[in-house]
Amino acid sequence: MLRMHFQWLLILLALVLSTGSAFSSDEPLTVSGYTPDEALKFGERMYREGILPSGKSMKAIVMGDIPVDGRMFTCDDCHQRSGLGSLEGTVITWPTNGKELYQPRRRTGAYRPPTGKRAKEGGRGTLPKYYQMENVRPAYTDSSLARLLRSGIDSAGRKLDPIMPLFRMGKKNMDILIHYLKNLSVDLSPGVDDTTLHFATVISAEVPEREKQAMLSVLQAHIDAHNSQTRHQERRSASGPFYKTEMHQAYRRLDLAVWELQGSEESWRDQLEDYYKKQPVFALLGGISTGSWQPIHTFSEDHKIPCLFPVTDLPVLSATDWYTLYFSKGYYQEGESVAKNVRAVMGSTKNSSVVQVFRQGKPGIALAEGFRQAWAGMGGATPRELVIEAKAPAGGQPALEQEDLSGVSVLLLWLGQEDETTFRRLAGQAGPNTMMFTSASLLENNFSTIPDDLRDTIHITYPYSLPDEVQKRGFVVKRWLQTRNIPLTNFTTQAKMYFLGWMLPGALKSMRSEFYRDYFVEGFDMMTDQDYAIAVYRRLTFGPGQRYASKGCYIVKLGKGPDPGLLPVNDWVTY
Amino acid sequence: MNRSGNPAAVILYAVFFFFLAALPQAQGKMYYKRTTEQYNVPDVILINQEGKEVPLKSFLDSEKLIVLDFIYGTCTTICPILSVGFAHFQKELGPGVDRVQLVSISIDPDNDTPELMRAYLQRYGAQPGWDILTGKRDNIVAVLTEFDAYVTNKMNHFPLTILHAPGSDTWIRLDGLLSASDIMKEYNKLAK
Repeated sequence: MLRMHFQWLLILLALVLSTGSAFSSDEPLTVSGYTPDEALKFGERMYREGILPSGKSMKAIVMGDIPVDGRMFTCDDCHQRSGLGSLEGTVITWPTNGKELYQPRRRTGAYRPPTGKRAKEGGRGTLPKYYQMENVRPAYTDSSLARLLRSGIDSAGRKLDPIMPLFRMGKKNMDILIHYLKNLSVDLSPGVDDTTLHFATVISAEVPEREKQAMLSVLQAHIDAHNSQTRHQERRSASGPFYKTEMHQAYRRLDLAVWELQGSEESWRDQLEDYYKKQPVFALLGGISTGSWQPIHTFSEDHKIPCLFPVTDLPVLSATDWYTLYFSKGYYQEGESVAKNVRAVMGSTKNSSVVQVFRQGKPGIALAEGFRQAWAGMGGATPRELVIEAKAPAGGQPALEQEDLSGVSVLLLWLGQEDETTFRRLAGQAGPNTMMFTSASLLENNFSTIPDDLRDTIHITYPYSLPDEVQKRGFVVKRWLQTRNIPLTNFTTQAKMYFLGWMLPGALKSMRSEFYRDYFVEGFDMMTDQDYAIAVYRRLTFGPGQRYASKGCYIVKLGKGPDPGLLPVNDWVTY
Repeated sequence: MNRSGNPAAVILYAVFFFFLAALPQAQGKMYYKRTTEQYNVPDVILINQEGKEVPLKSFLDSEKLIVLDFIYGTCTTICPILSVGFAHFQKELGPGVDRVQLVSISIDPDNDTPELMRAYLQRYGAQPGWDILTGKRDNIVAVLTEFDAYVTNKMNHFPLTILHAPGSDTWIRLDGLLSASDIMKEYNKLAK
């Protein structure tokens, strides 16, 4: 009898435990009939693209009476990918990430009494009740959050500003969106701990040592400056005034690892994975490669690791990828700028015959593609292309040089110094009205390839500030290097890294203790356009989702004399 | 020393305080401010979404009623609201859409190419009669300055809609975000 009772007790205990564990788990078994992971994907699509799981667009009312189609703008626009919100002009958008929504919202900057163990410490950890501000609103529940999204009434019963859309959606879709918000930016990103923010910089082994050091020395000097704690940040974090605790406790030392990639580009991904496994990093800073940035770009995108301002002329061109922020589109941008310039000069892309000449290889292909795609986007016909094989010997290319180019409207000579003979012969065959272009980057700024008698005719794409502009604004960079005993070895690379170091503190500070990678990138998106701290570009501009900061490229002609100046024929930005 | 200060000043402060406190109730819930202004439109060339040059002064000196705002293509918060307002306004106008010219001027001219602007209009389902203008940075700054809309950082911009009736020498400036009924109400006042 006793044995029977014992069996029943065991069964009952098992039932209680299993039921208890099912209810106590934070993760639901299904969300609107989908697995939690499926629901997250659908929720992300709703949040970022305004598309419901059914494929239809979300519907909402904004400003009280304007119907909105979800594809016009999305939650992501105002609340940002991280969900940490934004500040734009007169509009403050509050965080909608899980961590913030499901706890009471205090007033911005208001002191929050310590909780847990620290609450019992007394002294500076406590503040009389009458000095403590009331919370703005209590924590949301799933139900009050759904009410907010449908009616604009928050958890404190207040009506939100009508700029917040009121969504028209049923319970099933609402549950999916809430499931997504609940899981958005909850745990801090990898690469950060209580004392240190870990970064890495990627260098490919084929880069000459002098170039590597040019990049690394400036970047490391910025990191060292941050770690020197001129404001005694760690001391203040431990003993500063209570009302600045939050600000001071956000301070982290920075650690910069160097990830050097050996061998072929195909093997880089595995090497990156190994480095990352040994020490996860919060973001990649700078970096340099003469090859394509593709393997590093893909690695960043796959792991959602920000990669800021690598030194490369071969970036990945994408309108949707998010994690790598480049200085420019590199060679591609020069080709693209020529297309815009030709349209601006001719007033149209119609009735123009275009010939592109380039040597097979990444730079030539990128230049040609930049022109081809931009030209097609403006309604131009596909240009004729004359291609020199990658392995063809330097010097003349007799087969090409027979081409009749006299009737061509636009001739693009994307050729380097090794093809000087072909360059001169083809340029000589062009008609009197042919517009001719070449690339300063491909010629490595050595313009001796251009015959004196063609200086007035050949246009050169020049993607950097003009030399006299560089001289003026470069003074600051040179003095900065001098005071840190860093030899001036490659001004362009060093000026780029100087700029990255100039921007970094602002992005770190605006992140506060919210160490989310997406939020970090959003800090750069919100930056003011820059034309002071960047000596080598006329201007760098930023904006949400903009991933190529330089939008311009000069088109220049050579001046007269043995040391010819560069005479621009366009503005920095051409349309 | 009398710590309570001048009684007249205290009363004045109190009256002023109550005046400010009562202002919103007296006016009802206002989300925008309406003023009448005079602007001398800069004689600059801008570029529309088709890549065509547009002389701004003559373009705005139109026989159509002009509704103007300032936006940029990757704007996150203010511009989408302004633009859904424009798109809905065009629909509400129905056949009357031909009598109105909507103009959005980019405040991020480096990034806002004609191609991007065309895609932007498409996203909002714009009808003919809504043009986005971009152009040289200096020209854009001149326009923004004249319309008292210039900010050094585009992230600090503010919602603004400006209306102009054909032949009028004044402009109606609406600071703030507008509902569909707000914009229609302001349009009707000028279209009479």
